Amino acid sequence: MKIPHSLFSRRVFLNSLIGGWLAALGAAFISPFLKFILPPTREPDQVSVPLAEVKDLAPHAAKAFSWGNKPGLLKKNDDGSYTAFVTVCTHLDCNVTFIADQRRFYCACHEGWYDENGLNVSGPPPAPLRRLAAVVEGDAVIVRKPG
Amino acid sequence: MGRPCLYGGHVGLEPAVMSERRLAMAAIAALVLLSSFASGMLETQVQTVPQAPVGPAAAKTPGQGTVAAPRPAQERMAVGVLLAWVWLSIAVLLGLLRLRVREADRVFRFGLDRAAGKTHQDPKP
Amino acid sequence: MNVLRAWIEERLGLRAVTGFLAKKEVPRHKHTFLYYTGSSILLFLGIQIVTGVFLAVYYRPTLAEANTSVARIITEMPFGWLVRSVHSWSATFMIAFVIVHLLGIAFTKAYRKPREASWLTGIMLLGASLAFGFTGYLLPWDELSLAATKVGTNFPKAIPVLGAFLSRLMRAGDDVTGDTLSRFFIFHVSVLPLVVMALLGLHLFLVQRHGMSIPLQEERKNVKVPFLPFWPNFVFREAGVWLVLFGLLLTVAVVFAPGLGPQADLMAPAPEGVKPEWYFLFMFQALKLFPSKILGLNGEMIAVLAMMAGFGLILLLPFIDNRPFDRKGRVITGLVWAGLASTVAMSVWSLL
Repeated sequence: MKIPHSLFSRRVFLNSLIGGWLAALGAAFISPFLKFILPPTREPDQVSVPLAEVKDLAPHAAKAFSWGNKPGLLKKNDDGSYTAFVTVCTHLDCNVTFIADQRRFYCACHEGWYDENGLNVSGPPPAPLRRLAAVVEGDAVIVRKPG
Repeated sequence: MGRPCLYGGHVGLEPAVMSERRLAMAAIAALVLLSSFASGMLETQVQTVPQAPVGPAAAKTPGQGTVAAPRPAQERMAVGVLLAWVWLSIAVLLGLLRLRVREADRVFRFGLDRAAGKTHQDPKP
Repeated sequence: MNVLRAWIEERLGLRAVTGFLAKKEVPRHKHTFLYYTGSSILLFLGIQIVTGVFLAVYYRPTLAEANTSVARIITEMPFGWLVRSVHSWSATFMIAFVIVHLLGIAFTKAYRKPREASWLTGIMLLGASLAFGFTGYLLPWDELSLAATKVGTNFPKAIPVLGAFLSRLMRAGDDVTGDTLSRFFIFHVSVLPLVVMALLGLHLFLVQRHGMSIPLQEERKNVKVPFLPFWPNFVFREAGVWLVLFGLLLTVAVVFAPGLGPQADLMAPAPEGVKPEWYFLFMFQALKLFPSKILGLNGEMIAVLAMMAGFGLILLLPFIDNRPFDRKGRVITGLVWAGLASTVAMSVWSLL
């Protein structure tokens, strides 16, 4: 279909092509730069806590360990097994503490409370504490991501 | 009505609505931008998860010099693709720039910008 | 689009600038290609700023972590080795173009009246660029960079009266320590950028104010020189030059990515093959050549004073070459060529 006038002038057309391709060239660099700026901070696949450190714990007592960059807690259950928590408050990421004689977790930032199973019972925390799988293997307790 | 424009020697009027040319330009621009952004993403996508643990895979004895070559094979490929894209783009852009420079020189030589100034004010040559 | 432009124009009134740029002209002659050198420096400076910021995001400027943080960048961060390589190579390219730019101005005598101030700010910018290179070289804190810095901060001591003070100022004391690193770091990322911005602003303003200089050789002919409009004719040509330079830089950076030496040990003996970056090689060689005593005076002091005299001459060249069209001007051109030849020769010699 023939149109009575040109859609673009030669100048505008060339300017647009140049500008467009320059933008495309630049766009190819965005992703590598972003990858550089935001490197993956990966959590460990598993953490090994020596059995010697935890086998003498009384039931409902706990020992802290490091889950990558985050703090963790290994709690002994009645039947001798262990439960592992990531002791980061689900409200705004403060580190929570375990008050052994009350068998509760407490977050000092906004007075959030969790019970001994990590369930959020009082204060602002919207969700229970994150749990990890803890299995005794040989002379260590292996903590892994659940599932 | 749209603003007056010089088309092939005669003065015409640009259609006032979101004209076909604007639409066409926008569509082309979006397509090119999106595809190159996507290609950039794809080429780096290849080296996401394995990157961190594989990282310093080459032999690096402590206390010796580190050699900075692209390590994981995926990153090496990504850089190769990036370099190829850069040189392809440079070739294309140089060609386009050559056309544009010829156009600009032609305009200057024949005094077309000054002549056009008499019929309308187009600040962008 | 035009609505946006009108909105900005009503508030910022940039028509003065855009109007000026629209009318700016570039003389067209045999040496027009030299006009690309200045803006190429800007290209590399821009790249340095961008890559520098990216590096600074992970670099740790302390004695304990400098070397390991650089190692982390080049081995663990995605494309970190490339960012660092580009930064390192772009420094070389930038200083190379600064030198080419200087030579172009010198041989076309573009520094003659009324452009003396442009030359002065230009030489100061050269000094700042060299300072950038010098301070940046220490930051990876490996054996070679520590040795080079020790030498580099030692030789100002040979300057009479102020020498020892200058050296202690640079080193933050009598020896190169972690404090030296901190000092060099803040100079590299803060003080020098501010200085360069100020000098560059002045330099660019002067260049726009006076327009592009016509080479001596052309002015001599007494014929009116044809010209190109800056926008769009020259700018689009310049864009092509920038693209090619960028491609070259990236290719060199990918193929010849630098590594990292072992962490510097303040107590260890100097490693073999200590040498500074290429732009300081001629000074390095000159210092090696001078005998330790000349006519009873300290040889190193004579060498340093001679070098300072040389830099002084370069700085004051527009005032020395006050009759560029006469025989005096030709003699000076010959001397500049001789200076260039000897600098290159000294640099090459130091590598043999």
